[in-house]
Amino acid sequence: MSSEIEQEIIEGEEDVKDQDEENGENDEDENEELAEDIEALKKEMAKIVVEAPTIDVDNSETYDLENFSKSYKEISPKEKLILSFAENFRRQYVHLYRDRKPLFLNPLNECGVEKFVCTTIRPIQLPYQSLYDWDGCGEFVADYLNFVPLEPPTDLPKRLKSPTTVLDEQKGNCFEYSTLLCSFLIGAGYDAYVVNGYATRETCLMDETREICPLMRKKEEKTSSQETKQQRKYAVRPPKDLRSKYEMKQHKRKEDEEATEAEKRRQEEDNRIAELEKPPKDPLFGLRIHSWVLVLANKREVPESFFIEPFTGIAHPVNSVNYLGIESVWNHHNYWVNMQDCSEGVKRLKYDLGDPTLWEYMYPSNEKPQLQIPDDIMNEFDDDDEEEEEIEKHLDMPPSWVDPIRVEEKDFQLRCPQGKKTLLYKKAKLDKYAPYLHRDGLVSRLSVYDDYELNDLLQVKEYYENRIDKLYCRVHNHQNGWVTEQFYEGRQRNLKEHRYKANAPVHETDRVMVFYSQARVDGLLERREKMIDKSTQEMTEQFVDRTDFLYFRSVTFGKRPKKFGPADGKSNPKRPIHKMVEKFKRNEALPANEDMAEVVYNIQEEKITVTYHTENSKISASTREFIKPPNSDEKGATLIMSPEMHTTFQVEPQSKQKKQVEVYEQMVELIASEDASDQKARESEDEVEEILNDRTKEEATSELDISVYDTSRNEKAKKHRKELERLAEEEKMRRQEMELDYLAPFLAQIGDPEQISRQQAYKLKEDCLADLKQRLIDKANLIQARFEKETQELQKKQQWYQQNQVSMQKDDEAEYLAYCGEAMFRIHILELRLNRHKEMAPHKYMALESKIRTDPRLSEYF
Amino acid sequence: MSRLYDTVEPSVVDEEMLQKAVEEQGPKDEAGRLAKAEGIDFAEVTQLRLDFKNILKIDNMWCFTCLTKLQLDNNIIERIEGLDVLVNLTWLDLSFNNIEVIEGLDKLTKLTDLTLYNNRIARIENMDSLVDLHVLSIGNNDLKDLENLTYLRRFKNCKTLNLNGNPFCELEDYKVFVLAYLPHIDYLDYRLVDEASKHSAYEKYQISIEEMLHDERAAQRKLDEQLAKEKEFETHKKAYVEKLNGPYMFDSMYQDDIEGNKLSAMPGVDELLVVYRESFSKICQQIFEFGLIEHEKRVGEIDEFWKAINEAKTENKNMGMVKVNDFIDYKKKLFLDLLQLGEQGQSIAEQRFAEYNDKVAILQDALMGYEMQLVDQLEETVKDFERNMADMVSGFLENVQALISQCRDLENMHHERMMEIAIITLEKVLKNELDDDIPDELRELCVDKDTIVNAVQTSHDLHLLKIDNREDDIVTRINQFMSNMIRDVHDNEEVKRNRQRVSEINNLIDHLRDEIDNLDLQGLNY
Repeated sequence: MSSEIEQEIIEGEEDVKDQDEENGENDEDENEELAEDIEALKKEMAKIVVEAPTIDVDNSETYDLENFSKSYKEISPKEKLILSFAENFRRQYVHLYRDRKPLFLNPLNECGVEKFVCTTIRPIQLPYQSLYDWDGCGEFVADYLNFVPLEPPTDLPKRLKSPTTVLDEQKGNCFEYSTLLCSFLIGAGYDAYVVNGYATRETCLMDETREICPLMRKKEEKTSSQETKQQRKYAVRPPKDLRSKYEMKQHKRKEDEEATEAEKRRQEEDNRIAELEKPPKDPLFGLRIHSWVLVLANKREVPESFFIEPFTGIAHPVNSVNYLGIESVWNHHNYWVNMQDCSEGVKRLKYDLGDPTLWEYMYPSNEKPQLQIPDDIMNEFDDDDEEEEEIEKHLDMPPSWVDPIRVEEKDFQLRCPQGKKTLLYKKAKLDKYAPYLHRDGLVSRLSVYDDYELNDLLQVKEYYENRIDKLYCRVHNHQNGWVTEQFYEGRQRNLKEHRYKANAPVHETDRVMVFYSQARVDGLLERREKMIDKSTQEMTEQFVDRTDFLYFRSVTFGKRPKKFGPADGKSNPKRPIHKMVEKFKRNEALPANEDMAEVVYNIQEEKITVTYHTENSKISASTREFIKPPNSDEKGATLIMSPEMHTTFQVEPQSKQKKQVEVYEQMVELIASEDASDQKARESEDEVEEILNDRTKEEATSELDISVYDTSRNEKAKKHRKELERLAEEEKMRRQEMELDYLAPFLAQIGDPEQISRQQAYKLKEDCLADLKQRLIDKANLIQARFEKETQELQKKQQWYQQNQVSMQKDDEAEYLAYCGEAMFRIHILELRLNRHKEMAPHKYMALESKIRTDPRLSEYF
Repeated sequence: MSRLYDTVEPSVVDEEMLQKAVEEQGPKDEAGRLAKAEGIDFAEVTQLRLDFKNILKIDNMWCFTCLTKLQLDNNIIERIEGLDVLVNLTWLDLSFNNIEVIEGLDKLTKLTDLTLYNNRIARIENMDSLVDLHVLSIGNNDLKDLENLTYLRRFKNCKTLNLNGNPFCELEDYKVFVLAYLPHIDYLDYRLVDEASKHSAYEKYQISIEEMLHDERAAQRKLDEQLAKEKEFETHKKAYVEKLNGPYMFDSMYQDDIEGNKLSAMPGVDELLVVYRESFSKICQQIFEFGLIEHEKRVGEIDEFWKAINEAKTENKNMGMVKVNDFIDYKKKLFLDLLQLGEQGQSIAEQRFAEYNDKVAILQDALMGYEMQLVDQLEETVKDFERNMADMVSGFLENVQALISQCRDLENMHHERMMEIAIITLEKVLKNELDDDIPDELRELCVDKDTIVNAVQTSHDLHLLKIDNREDDIVTRINQFMSNMIRDVHDNEEVKRNRQRVSEINNLIDHLRDEIDNLDLQGLNY
């Protein structure tokens, strides 16, 4: 390969030498010379093309040239001009900078035709919303294609397939990835360029095993700006600090020491981990060729320039350590060669493409990016520039030879080739699936491990889409066995999140359920069930925004009593409730001393304790305790209250005592509310069971929800359409039948003449009527025959019955009676039919006669 | 209404009747027994029914200050009276009586439901104070005048109205009239009114309704303007600068000044007056603006002071509550343990008691400690505040006084010039050189030098007096305000609050000690 280039260089040098000799001649001659050079160049290029296949035969894939359009197989005159320019540039470049690597200018396309790289970029905007932003484009390209490494890794590829082929095959090397991505980005309006440069081995081989999975990266927490406390004139002095200052100093010094030690230890740990994670040394470091995309600022409101790695679709800052050097960049307008020093990687490079000292451009054009001069100096130049506006005509890039890129809707949805892709990261693995590919709607699964070899599973996170049960995420933590499921809104009981232990029995174990409290009538936010010890369980519920200010309820259950006796088979006995606690928020409408803050129903000890809210100026709260009277369980019994049943502590020592009546009424109220709470607790238990039942049912039959607009998948819509079609068909057939001619057979008999004579007409009429008569008679006879047959059979059966009446069994008799009934029914029907037929027959006859009379073909004779 | 029971004696609302009614209608059964034992306090009764009692006169209701619902229907009441004390009344039923005039409802501002069904009322009137009326029933009365119904337009909240059975119901356009003039009625005569008929009714009477609306709106606007003006006046008063934004003070000076008015007829005095008026008014305006600014500053200062105080109080309260709640948790646990210990752990129990008592003592100390802290903090803050306010007030007063002395200077200058002009005029009059005719009053004064000088002097004195009065007014008022406020702060914030808190703490500690004693007894018994 290199020999070829050398050969070319030598030949090119000769040409340049020729030019130098003739430098003194006129311009016209020079033009002639140039034309000659171009011819010579063409010949040489033709030579190269002939020789190439011999070397590339191992790697190349041959394509059927029939599938491609004309522009792929031919070089237009403008392209030839461009190519010659490029060749000229290359020769000068090689002459001036001998020790730089060769430029990537005009590789072969899939049809074996040389094309300039700038024209391979085909800016296009596809009609998919996610492709409007750079991250959507990057992700799409990364997902859609499978990657092929450069072979050998330190050389430029010989072939650059067009983006359309790359999309069809769903695979490509880094240059093809970048060209495709650049096409999308330029189409979306970004200032994007394909970069030809050098990168680390990990980047070239798409090895992300040392990267943290992007889904796991913690989002940057926005540091909330602390409101500067208003400088107030009246700041109350904080209480006197009575602690010894000396002691405090000692304490602080000790703490500082400990802190520094901890810091040191942590740093050591970090270093150790970094050492472990460092990749092994790369022998080809700095030589691996790679291609990626550069996006400059200023277009599409991009604040800062950045790189996009096409294999992963992730953005890197311009000083990323992954990239070690840049040779050249190009877009669909122009080609620039990097003149800056890359010994320290890409850190120090400036991306001011208008500055010829940094970037050597290939084609002078009026569209070149302006040199970035600070504004005040620009203003000075403005006046001068306006006068000297001569628009020079420069060569501009021809339009791209690639066909417009198209991606089908279903391919777009399918995304990854075959709909699945697996990516490996540091201590994590990510599987991606296309929606609707899995029966249960799984779209991605992230497995997090504890070690680098991905053996020790820590946690699995699964994401779902389009499930009817609105599940969208499930996290299974393998370390403590907890599973968390998260749902969208719209479920029957507004379940938002469900946490439970994976292997525990379904009912009555630890679990947490979180609900969408705004959609629930009772404002329930969270419900927790917990086993406190073997015999007691606790269920706590938290509420939001309730009108009765309840925000917390907790119910403690005891052990279920053992039931002795016959197995009932009916519902399980409920666990007995031992204690209930309800807490309320402050109701401003009531005075604090009457606003209940906490009510404890101690059912085991038959006590009710009420704690009220504290008033604004007080620090303690009043309490009241009732002992339930013995007959409180009976419904409708009058509760008798004695003064010992009630004790109270009032914060205000001088407040007046409540009257007995009021106290009594309050007790009655509390007992009633205890019943209500009891009922609520039972309802909650039931609800939990129902939810669990629903969940098990849903898991068993996981169905996916297909949108009404999704015509390709929508089975129901398909069926409906098919039904409509079928109906339409039937309708057509029926209409066809109607148009059958009733006279046809008769006309056929007499040979279907054009004109019908009088005699023939009469004959037709007679025939027709006779035929009808015959048919009617036949029908009547048929019905009659059936009728007689039925009556005969019935008679026979009746005789048989009479004979064997005595010796018949009950079943036989029943059978006989049934048969009798049916037979009678049939006979009756037949009789009816016969009668009707007899009635209708003359009508039909007359109808046919009048029809014949009025038939246009025979009417002239009647 | 004539009854079959004409011959029955009319009765009177007396103690016995009320007692019986209250008992009957009070809590029932068990609660009733308890209530009777304790005795029902009339001042706590909220609902009372005195129907079918043949009452002739409403009286003796002065005890029932908490009453919200009162039913006096089916009696023979002829006048609405004696209900002035029942200011909390929301529901009043006076149907099936013999009332002829609506009156005596002036104090019942909270009334929402009023029924005067089946009486002898001929005119709707005297219901101005019932602004919150929602339901009104005046069916079966003697109302004849449809125009009278427009009186009900003012009850914008009244959605239910019953007028059935009145003479004007026979009129053809009764319904249309009602729908047109009373658009906010939703239920007329127990039937829902539909939009269509409302619209058509409205169209019929459109012109006159428009007029009426126009008048009402004008009246409303005037009322609003007046309210706004009054509010503004209030704010000015608070800043002690009312009536200073403009020539009011100047005019008031000259209002009572007879001599001054007479003297103003002198030639050359007109222009002088005009100029004087202007400069005087300017100074007044300055005082006005300055006063408003200072007022704002004072208000801001007071706000900040209160903010700080409240913050400190809440912080302290929270700290206290934390301690109390911790203790209560500890106490609950301890009691549970003790109950479960039973007989065996006698010594342990005793140890626990001692522990408990110690903790109680610690709690008391802590709470008292917090209180003392708060007292300290507040004392300092209050002192600061006092000082600052005093500074502000004195600053304000100084400035105002300076400005007022400017006014005085103006007055003095004016006086001198008046004197000059007076003397010149006098001389002219005496020499009969005056060109114009001077009014008689002035001529009287220009008899001799003394009278005119006296006149000028009196005028001047009067002016000065007015200015002085105004100044004193401002000074006294602001000083009073200051002293009141400081005294209030001291009393409420420092003294009362402290006492309340201390008594609360003591009460709590006593209660806690009692509890352990009670439990103690139970524990030992078992």
